[in-house]
Amino acid sequence: MASKEKEYQELFTAEALENQEELNRLLTSLEKNPSDKAAINSIFRITHTLKGNAAGLGYTSIAEMAHVLEDLFGEIRAGKFVLEAEVFSSIYKSIDILSELIQALGTDKVVRYKGIKTKLEVLIKNKVNQAPSETAQEEAPAKTASEEIIPQESIEAVAEEASTETSEASESDNKISFSDLVQVPVRKLDNLLNLVGELIIERDRLIAQNQHTRSNEYSRLNRISSDLQYSVMDVRLVQVGFLFNKFHRVVRDAASVEAKQVNLKLEGIDTEIDRNILQIISDSLIHIVRNCVGHGIEMPDARKKLSKPEQGQITMRARSESEGVIIEITDDGKGIDAEVVKKKAIEKGLLLPEIAKNLSPREILMYIFEPGFSTAEKVTAISGRGVGMDVVKKAIDSVGGTIDVETEMGKGTTIRLALPSSMAVKGTLLFQLADTEYAIPLAYTEAVVSLYKKDIHKVSFGLVTQYQGKAIGLVFLSDLFFGEEAASEGTPYLQKGYSEIQEKQKLDVIVVNYGGKTVGFVVDKLLQQKEIVEKPLSRPVDVVKFIGGVTILGNGNVCLVLHIPAILSHIYNYNYTQSRRKLAVSPN
Amino acid sequence: MEVKEKKKKNAESVAEKTYQNQQLIVFRLGQEEYALHIDQVKEVVITPHITRMPQTPSFVRGVANIRGNIIAIIDLEEKFGLSVGLEEPSKQANNFTLVIESEEFKIGVLVKEVPNTLSISEADIEETSNVIHEAGVESGYIKGVAKSGDRLIILIDILKIMSEKEFDMLTRKQALA
Repeated sequence: MASKEKEYQELFTAEALENQEELNRLLTSLEKNPSDKAAINSIFRITHTLKGNAAGLGYTSIAEMAHVLEDLFGEIRAGKFVLEAEVFSSIYKSIDILSELIQALGTDKVVRYKGIKTKLEVLIKNKVNQAPSETAQEEAPAKTASEEIIPQESIEAVAEEASTETSEASESDNKISFSDLVQVPVRKLDNLLNLVGELIIERDRLIAQNQHTRSNEYSRLNRISSDLQYSVMDVRLVQVGFLFNKFHRVVRDAASVEAKQVNLKLEGIDTEIDRNILQIISDSLIHIVRNCVGHGIEMPDARKKLSKPEQGQITMRARSESEGVIIEITDDGKGIDAEVVKKKAIEKGLLLPEIAKNLSPREILMYIFEPGFSTAEKVTAISGRGVGMDVVKKAIDSVGGTIDVETEMGKGTTIRLALPSSMAVKGTLLFQLADTEYAIPLAYTEAVVSLYKKDIHKVSFGLVTQYQGKAIGLVFLSDLFFGEEAASEGTPYLQKGYSEIQEKQKLDVIVVNYGGKTVGFVVDKLLQQKEIVEKPLSRPVDVVKFIGGVTILGNGNVCLVLHIPAILSHIYNYNYTQSRRKLAVSPN
Repeated sequence: MEVKEKKKKNAESVAEKTYQNQQLIVFRLGQEEYALHIDQVKEVVITPHITRMPQTPSFVRGVANIRGNIIAIIDLEEKFGLSVGLEEPSKQANNFTLVIESEEFKIGVLVKEVPNTLSISEADIEETSNVIHEAGVESGYIKGVAKSGDRLIILIDILKIMSEKEFDMLTRKQALA
């Protein structure tokens, strides 16, 4: 019984939040074009439905709030109420309260809504009374009405009448229709996907065990389970428009605080992506978009001087590519100055001047994603205090995506997120190290090369080799993983593997690229490419940073999946701290 | 008469409480016998293939696949320093794994021989205040010493062993790096 009720509540919440989003969208378009009849009608209809649903389930506060909004737009529709700029702020406020009320369902949270409700009621009362006074015939009764204090009930009664009238009219062209859609709570889908993951692992194990005997027997099992897996993954896909549409409001709010004019354009909103990935990156997107408004777009008069249109443009673009989904956020603002970034990074101690000299502008730009970095001269409510872009980067890393930035001074900036379209299956490259199998996500691998000792050089505290005419860092993964304790004091442990190899020994190297950094990893043996179902590490080993997850191979062994962003940041921090220590000693 | 009987029963139940039997799982570590409370042990399996894990203390041997669960495998001999003076620890066969399950995590504990169960009266378990500890070593995990005939069995709380300190140390090490 209780669970049934909970399910209804889940359904209502989902639908109500959707409604509330739609309201926001309609309202922003209405604000630009106050005479938009279609938008007014839609808002009226949505609030009416919301009121009905909420009342039916006994959520009085939501019903009351929706009721007032319905009344207001009923009056607007009837032409008795003229929309003015100041009214919008109240309406936005009321919709915010409404969404708070919806989100508070099932929790003990108390949301105060009476204040804004009364404010709207007063607005309706005043305007409705004013409107007739402008027409000559009804002047006399209107005057008396406005002089007397009209009891609340009678106003509500009038409003009620108006709404029942209109709903009766619209009912005639309504047909009862059944939706072809089924709403399913996400946790059920998560569970389903987990089970399918287990099934795939089990299938691979069975097939590996019986490889030599009756492999044909399993081909059907193989095919059906693969189809099942892809079907489940497909069910979890949602259109990015689901998230992008919320940004009309985000941009509007951010722009109005900064007194800037910004238009948001959405492209490719029907691109599909896993729902959980979308959820994880949603905060990051908000942050990026706010940054675009706060730092990117100039003030209207500044833009005028630059002969740009006064209204800035932010574009959110999504498209599917073979490896996943690309999301780009572009603004036509002032761009990011690499020199300023360099200066800041050195000031904050994130970068050494000696190193900065050799970095390309693109490499410098990546420092905006370092923790504790902010180019904003002053702290504002919108762009915050520099706790941002590093959090964004972490969120993107956690789903196995990459982030990139492109900028042109005076023209604008593009932030590009490359995301996997599903978290369930990862293309990986398997390799062997110390009799253990590991996997590297293909999203980070660039090439596989063979090297000999003569190709490798000791530089500073690490190793360097040539790759496509460029010097790249080289790391023996065995040193990185297990060499730290074994290395004697004073010798850099990242050079241990190098000193142990023979001249003629051929080394397998996997070249990985992440965040503008390219590094070669020396492994014992390359195995194969494989699609894997990754599982997260559980306690107590979930604190291990180098490993992002595990999978179970056909032979039943555990295979560790490398977390490339963490490994690279570890290597670079190590080199950085070592060279820092050296510099501190050398000046004497 | 009835009242008398009730009183008698009460007295009996009090006695039962004081001398309740404890079910222990006993296993050998180094030269000593150690024991866990049976509630903490979910099952005993033949040790599967262990995958070594980077960035972990040496007593964490790695992770293994036990019935589809990925479980961290720990070596208590290494943790307690009991393998000192013995032959190279990795060469000894750790044939069995005790699977420990709590609400927070699952771990496997390596043992060499099939562990036994032992039922022992609470009265035979001594508090740990008389055990000599090395200063600075957390000792909360030693729950007591059980006597069974001339055997002395060290009763440990495995969940405490895996709590905070060791893994705190691990994370701190990473933060410094």
